[in-house]
Amino acid sequence: MSVRGTLGGVLAAATVLIIGWQAGSAASTHASAAAGTTASGTTGTTGTAGAAGTAGATDATGTSTGYADGTYTGAAEQTRYGDMQVKVTISGGQITDVTALQVTDNDPRSQQISARAVPVLHDEVLAAQSANVSTVSGATYTSDGYLASLQSALDQA
Amino acid sequence: MRYAFETMGTVVSVDADARPPAVEAVFHDLDARFSLYRPDSELSAIADGRVRLLHASAELKGAYALAVDWRERTAGAFTPHRPDGVLDLSGVVKALAIESAGGVLDAHGGAWTLGCGGDVLTRRPTTTTVGIAHPDARGRLLTALDVPPERRAIATSGSSERGEHIWRTGADDSLVQVTVLAGDIVTADVLATAIVAGGMRTCDLVTDAFDCDVLAIARDGTISATPGVRFAGHDRAARAAA
Repeated sequence: MSVRGTLGGVLAAATVLIIGWQAGSAASTHASAAAGTTASGTTGTTGTAGAAGTAGATDATGTSTGYADGTYTGAAEQTRYGDMQVKVTISGGQITDVTALQVTDNDPRSQQISARAVPVLHDEVLAAQSANVSTVSGATYTSDGYLASLQSALDQA
Repeated sequence: MRYAFETMGTVVSVDADARPPAVEAVFHDLDARFSLYRPDSELSAIADGRVRLLHASAELKGAYALAVDWRERTAGAFTPHRPDGVLDLSGVVKALAIESAGGVLDAHGGAWTLGCGGDVLTRRPTTTTVGIAHPDARGRLLTALDVPPERRAIATSGSSERGEHIWRTGADDSLVQVTVLAGDIVTADVLATAIVAGGMRTCDLVTDAFDCDVLAIARDGTISATPGVRFAGHDRAARAAA
């Protein structure tokens, strides 16, 4: 097996690891299919971060038979989450750094999780009560409700 | 200058450089056409069968189409169809009026803030600090938000409001008050209404599908917020007190 072919496998495996870390438990089957024999069957396909780290070390050990130290950039892999591309640094024959050059961004699920409303601490919410406001938003109030509201005080200022 | 006037059963507040008469006219005209409290409005004529929707004005049909479109987009959490069969467009008409009045103020130029019945629309180059009314205590604030200029619209909906257009789906009535920050007032108003009606599941669907921020108050006291919500800094109050 050529060095280039093996390195391609390492880069693809690193791609799988990063996708697994980003996407949680749902690693991309496309990427793992592209990983070739080196990556197939690695725990990177399960997507758990701890296992992925172990698999990386295993790959590094398996490939310590002669990579020149340096930085290698893989081809962009198409995954169902978007394009992924990784840069791997090899030092002393071991993988010492893996960097994502393209970050998946078109998985609606990963976007939606970050946009959701989550519980917040009451302290910060209540501390803001004393801020100087220029206007007030409230549930629709009638003319009577307006008269009792802070908005009416602001309007007369 | 600041001024206020009554319309649509509530009050409009304006903070702007000018007071163009067209601002008040926008609200009065829309109220005349769409108010179900006026027996001579076009919508009342539709409600009691004197006029068929098919023969309604283009403006009314346009508002109806908008409301139905939003019913689809909120999976039914927002709907203009009351359980008693009456078509109630108040859910969109207030926002349409605010939007139209905002256009009048834009034509005059300058920065402005317009509020109507608890909805707020701004045209400002900088952050606006907006108080959020307390759901339980009149005249008191629950909190205040520093709202960036691109979130021009702030709409709050609640279970304590005169909400003829809030038909709870029955699935989740755990939210007592919801504030939505968005780029336009129709979106903010409809989504606030939809989330109060549909609960946290609707809130998640909304934050997934629309570019907006949400502050939701639950019956059990839990306060939830999207990452873009910024609570007004108390250092700001400290500076003001100094």
